[in-house]
Amino acid sequence: MEEQRYVVFMFPSVSYALKAEKILKAAGIGHKLIPVPRHISSDCGVCLRTTEDKQQDVEVELLGRVEWNKVVLL
Amino acid sequence: MPVTVDARGLACPQPVIMAKKAIEKNEQITVLVDNDMAVENIRRLALKMSCGFSVTEREAGLWEIALARAGAIDETKEGRGSSAQEDELSCTVASGKGAGALVVILSDNHMGRGDDVLGDILIRSFVHTLLQLKPLPDTVICYNSGVKLAVKDSAVLDDLQQLAKDGVDILVCGTCVNYFEIGDQVAAGHISNMYDIAETMAGAGRLLRP
Repeated sequence: MEEQRYVVFMFPSVSYALKAEKILKAAGIGHKLIPVPRHISSDCGVCLRTTEDKQQDVEVELLGRVEWNKVVLL
Repeated sequence: MPVTVDARGLACPQPVIMAKKAIEKNEQITVLVDNDMAVENIRRLALKMSCGFSVTEREAGLWEIALARAGAIDETKEGRGSSAQEDELSCTVASGKGAGALVVILSDNHMGRGDDVLGDILIRSFVHTLLQLKPLPDTVICYNSGVKLAVKDSAVLDDLQQLAKDGVDILVCGTCVNYFEIGDQVAAGHISNMYDIAETMAGAGRLLRP
């Protein structure tokens, strides 16, 4: 469990994150909405966390449907 | 070799007072402490005296703190009488555990009023962030729709389970899960009653309610 590496998807706004979450839920891809980690940004925002191995699956699902700013390795 | 101050086994404010005396006489010191309250107090002392500060946890419950002072002590900032009082003050402020239990109340499965979609995101962020609090809360109490956070399909179930694993006592209101007919779905913490809930709240040092 401790070895698990995560990535977070950053979005332009909270509503993008919510839309992305709906898409991933429907696609059955494991994910979690979490507050943006402090070391990434001090903005009060949420981002979408997933395991590193699912990053591509998430990108495929979101492409053309929800825009994201960047993906950061935790 | 820097001077080593062994403050293990000493109660607050002893470690920070010893550290202060030592750093006033030496430019570099090492302090050994065995509680995180002392670490925090010495961190604050370092900040106040503009000292370099680094801490390593050498083993579970044993911290080694390195303090390094650059140049002379600024006596205008470090008036002796007042600063000693401030040290003791920070001691009582920092002693979260000593001041009584920290109890988090989840009385709703949303955070704040106004918009439930937003309230849902906020409560999820809040519960996730509880894991990073230092010290962790002693108890989390879920009642009314807050119990929905502790059931199988909850988005924060993994966070509550991790809190429980980390030693946080999670009380889930039995009347409430019965009312919502989700008693068989509770997957974090343990079903509790109003006696425990009222007693825990009454005995708390601080109640945190999102």
